[in-house]
Amino acid sequence: MASMTFGQKSFTPSPPQKGSFPLDHQNECKRFMLKYMLCLRENKSENSLCRDESRNYLECRMEKGLMAKEEWTKLGFSDASEPKTT
Amino acid sequence: MSEGTKSTLYYIAALGVLAFGLSYAAVPLYRIFCQAYSYGGTTQQGHNAEKVEDMKTVTDRVIRVRFNADTAASMTWNFRPQQSEIKLHPGETALAFYTAKNPMDRPVIGISTYNVVPFDAGQYFNKIQCFCFEEQMLNPHEEVHMPVFFYIDPEFVDDPKMQNVDMLTLSYTFFEAREGLQLPMPQFAR
Repeated sequence: MASMTFGQKSFTPSPPQKGSFPLDHQNECKRFMLKYMLCLRENKSENSLCRDESRNYLECRMEKGLMAKEEWTKLGFSDASEPKTT
Repeated sequence: MSEGTKSTLYYIAALGVLAFGLSYAAVPLYRIFCQAYSYGGTTQQGHNAEKVEDMKTVTDRVIRVRFNADTAASMTWNFRPQQSEIKLHPGETALAFYTAKNPMDRPVIGISTYNVVPFDAGQYFNKIQCFCFEEQMLNPHEEVHMPVFFYIDPEFVDDPKMQNVDMLTLSYTFFEAREGLQLPMPQFAR
């Protein structure tokens, strides 16, 4: 950050573990995104109740080549039915 | 000069050289120390997939993550978060969306950086994948949704300073990528 007050803690951004998501220019996974948003709205923004929807979105991304295939456990989904391997 | 004086002088000179050398070595050593112990807000290196695999969700703490979106003054995109907040537990991976629309008649390349407040909590905020620090191009009048896949490190609950922290704010700022544009970017960014 450019402006650092001397002696005060500042925030240092870190790179994402798996890098950047390629942009979904064709909006191929938009349906899953909307389902996830709907789920969040219905469940008062509670993430724990919408994990299936977020997993579906990531699965869509993997299928369409917009995300590297990864095992679900490595993404924090321990209750997945079918793990996809790289 | 007597032998005693000479050897004392040698000792003092050697001590001087040692002190000089230590002050030079202190710079990288201090950096290593800071990174190993996350002192002063520096983030830990080496967060990896194995850690995510073994991570346990802490169900008795709920953290609200609020989302904020900004653009630089000269950046024309309409950039906004799709959700105002998400409630999650430390150790639980979560997905959040931002949407960006390019209203111009020409393609625009943007590049973003992010910030987390409170600063002390920022070290526990880990992004598995997002859209920051890489150039993203939007075609004329194109709108895309941009996901952020992240989690809050379970070690958050062990930090005494985080006892009263139950809200984090994640803020992304988009800049237009131009030749010679100086951004407040960290060292590792391209």
